Amino acid sequence: MKGRFSILIALLLVASMVLSACGGAAAPAAPPAAEAPATEAAVEAPAADAPATEAPAAEAPADANALPRNETLYFNGQQWGPVVGWNPYSNSNNNAMAIAQQDNARVIMFETPYLYNMLDGQQYPLLADGPFTWNDARTELTFKIKPAAKWSDGTPVTAEDVAYTWATHVKYNTPTGAANIDVIDAIEAVDPQTVVIKAKLDENGAAVNPLLVAAYVSTNYVIQKAWTETLEARVAGDPTQLLADPAEDVVYSGPYHKFFADDSKVVYVRDDNYWGQDASMWGKLPAPKYLAHTIFKDNAAGTTALQAGEVDVSQQFNSNVQDLWEVQNLPISTYLPEPPYGIGASLPTAFFNLQSPGLDQVCIRKAIAMAVDYPTIIANAMTNQSATFDQVPRSLMNPTAGEQATFDHDAVADLQWAGNDIEGAIALLDECGVVDSDGDGWREFNGEKLSYVATCPNGWSDWQAAIEVVAAAGEKIGIDITSNFPEWSVYQTVVTKSDSPLPAGYDIFMMWSDGAGPTQPWGRIRKLMSSEFIGMASNWNGNWGQYANPAADELIKAIPAETDPDALKEMYTELVKIYLTDIPSFTLMYRPQSFHTVNESVWTNYPYDGDGTNPPVPPLNLTDGWSIAGLYNLELVQ
Amino acid sequence: MKGYRRYFFNKLGWFAITFVFAFLLNFMLPRMMPGDPVAAIVARQAQGMSNSTGVQAIYEQYTELFGTNKPMYEQFFIYVGNVLKGDFGFSFSQYPRRVTDVIGSAIWWTLILQIPAIIVGWILGNMLGALAAYRKGGFDKVLMPTSLFLSSFPPFGMAIILLVVFAVQLKWFPTSGGYGFDLIPSMTPNFLRSMFIHYQLPFWSIVIILIGGQAIGMRSMAIYELNADYVKFSRFMGIKDDRIVGYVFRNAMLPQVTGLALALGTVVGGALVAEIVFSYPGLGTTLLTAVTGQDYPLISAATLIITFMVLTATFVLEILYGVIDPRIKATQSD
Repeated sequence: MKGRFSILIALLLVASMVLSACGGAAAPAAPPAAEAPATEAAVEAPAADAPATEAPAAEAPADANALPRNETLYFNGQQWGPVVGWNPYSNSNNNAMAIAQQDNARVIMFETPYLYNMLDGQQYPLLADGPFTWNDARTELTFKIKPAAKWSDGTPVTAEDVAYTWATHVKYNTPTGAANIDVIDAIEAVDPQTVVIKAKLDENGAAVNPLLVAAYVSTNYVIQKAWTETLEARVAGDPTQLLADPAEDVVYSGPYHKFFADDSKVVYVRDDNYWGQDASMWGKLPAPKYLAHTIFKDNAAGTTALQAGEVDVSQQFNSNVQDLWEVQNLPISTYLPEPPYGIGASLPTAFFNLQSPGLDQVCIRKAIAMAVDYPTIIANAMTNQSATFDQVPRSLMNPTAGEQATFDHDAVADLQWAGNDIEGAIALLDECGVVDSDGDGWREFNGEKLSYVATCPNGWSDWQAAIEVVAAAGEKIGIDITSNFPEWSVYQTVVTKSDSPLPAGYDIFMMWSDGAGPTQPWGRIRKLMSSEFIGMASNWNGNWGQYANPAADELIKAIPAETDPDALKEMYTELVKIYLTDIPSFTLMYRPQSFHTVNESVWTNYPYDGDGTNPPVPPLNLTDGWSIAGLYNLELVQ
Repeated sequence: MKGYRRYFFNKLGWFAITFVFAFLLNFMLPRMMPGDPVAAIVARQAQGMSNSTGVQAIYEQYTELFGTNKPMYEQFFIYVGNVLKGDFGFSFSQYPRRVTDVIGSAIWWTLILQIPAIIVGWILGNMLGALAAYRKGGFDKVLMPTSLFLSSFPPFGMAIILLVVFAVQLKWFPTSGGYGFDLIPSMTPNFLRSMFIHYQLPFWSIVIILIGGQAIGMRSMAIYELNADYVKFSRFMGIKDDRIVGYVFRNAMLPQVTGLALALGTVVGGALVAEIVFSYPGLGTTLLTAVTGQDYPLISAATLIITFMVLTATFVLEILYGVIDPRIKATQSD
């Protein structure tokens, strides 16, 4: 009996093993087929509208279900979550590789007239033919469109497309329209090749902000007029529908377009008829036929894939990145071989709530900022992927040579601090009378114990590590600082509400600053210091601590119209002085515009510092601004 | 038969009442979280926008679109009306995707990973537990501590260990994804093979932990039943061993069946760890993102599915109990 039962159990065990194996093999076959990404298009886009180039089947590789490794460049860190749409008018596509209208606009599918190069601060023509020119009064900016520039449907890109794009942005109050309506009055097509951007004028007849007008041409895509009209007809002129349209039928001018997208990846395929192979632009096609981005669930998964050679270009934070080549001997590298490994561009910043009791005092703010152990933040939170404040002393500028040259270093030297200066901070507090009078170990101001909450969103691990260091600094100088990490959904609602004082629990809080771009460092300074954002119910610009200084406001307002380099330097120096004197916020680290780590298992000749390219190709993943030039330089290892 | 009908309708009534309350809570609870989900969408739209009127206009446009500017009760009735038509609205976090589309594209991965894993883990665990109870001796001495060890393992730890050992070190399996990083889904042998290989680590990370817990439960129940009076009495009566074993396992299975039904009911959120560690597609991470992003429509729809599955599973179980164990029906229908 016992024997028979054992045999029965053994048989059942084997059966269950087989069942498990079958369950794995056969069952998952259904979903991808059922969730073909064209479902939205099928609903939204009439078949007749689909351009001929949008037929992936016709361009499928020889083995229809595999991307040839030596024709595909794999990315990570740009696309999180599935792609939602292909609509260049909207910011809600979650299509990071294809659509990002920003200072360094992502131009693999849609193109801007100019490409910004963060390394030399220049704007190079893409759709445009030659540099743009200002009229003498700096109220009108003119540029021409390259005769060779074509849309994916073969029709030429014209000045009318540029003008109609702007008109559509304004008509439907798109994010681009709303962002520029205060500085751009009109964009007009003088002839099929010539575009004139008319700046909005102030009461004196001068352009409100020529800097932002000039930035428009390298920040915003040109979208085809004919396709826009199709879209408008489809949504019957409804602005919400226009922005919500997934635009699977969109016409584009860039070198890549949609090949495949589902919940686990997005793949772009090269348009071999791309106009840019004309001698007036690149003279050839970009090297990879496919650009693919697997959607990883977190950084750890992305790093593992990078190590395994399944990712070529990594735009994510890889902790202790140097271990990849120093310890694991992998063919992986960064733009710079030594720390900080990349070019710092933005300044993650701790803002003071200037209405918290005590934080309205400069000496208390400065003491906290002086006591913070920045080397620890940079070593731990950034694993040395940030320049130190010894290497690049604090100002309002990022570490790029261009921005560092905009102010007088000597004039602000005695205002700068490198951090971890506990003695200095204690002396400062004692000097301004902020002392521990009741002997409990904590200092008081106006009889009230100095007690603050330092905060940043939960799960933003590098920021959380930095905030913990800020909190630790408080204890060393007798100021009670505790840390708290609310969810981002709550945090952002609170921090961006600038029409009322910040609530309790947000005494010291972290937010970002602008990176590198054609309006910098002016744009960053404005967002760190300008009082124009106070009073906004939804403030996604900056100055979240609600700092107001008329002198700073005046300088910020004057800089865009100033063209004299000496006067500009003086103005920037003055702003740095004000910032380092008043300390409404303080930079905790330098962060690269993009993390740029490359794996040379398959592709090589990526941009690196001193690679001899002219203009230099910036380390922005071969997708952003002038860095797309790197796609044309890539070579196969074998 | 009359008693059974009464039992059935009684259970059905409770099912309906529970469902109505669960539905109400599914709607209410996400909306009681602090924070403003529309602000997140506006954040995406408003990056770089410095004129407050423009931002405010966009904000109002979306609150109107999502109806978050209406009173809660009004939102509820609109929601009920739409749900009855099968429309769960727009996902906030993946706008302009619709909730049905988001769930539709993710849920199959979750079901296909979880259901076989739970069933296999349950069958293996129960068989091993039964075997340990029956054979005792060395087998039991090894199985019991092993099961305890496995069942107390955090799922995250198990997944990471499998990943490091079998994917990173031994390179037997891929590290992430639902299919090869270089493949496009298609019904080809190459693709199916890739899916099968990618399936293994997430699958076993769930199964191994399940086996331990099920084995312990089954072993205890079986030992208890093997020593029950009716077993001794049956032996005295001269009833054959395999018939007695049949009685024993039918009785020992009852709580285990409950566990299975409840486990099957919670598959939607259950694969979260495997999904994150192996970057496997599925609804677990979608739901997690929805919760952190206050995506009310997506949270409500996903939790509604979970609620419905758990309630249905328990309802079916109650009905089956009546069949498996007539004592329960008899007690309940009194």
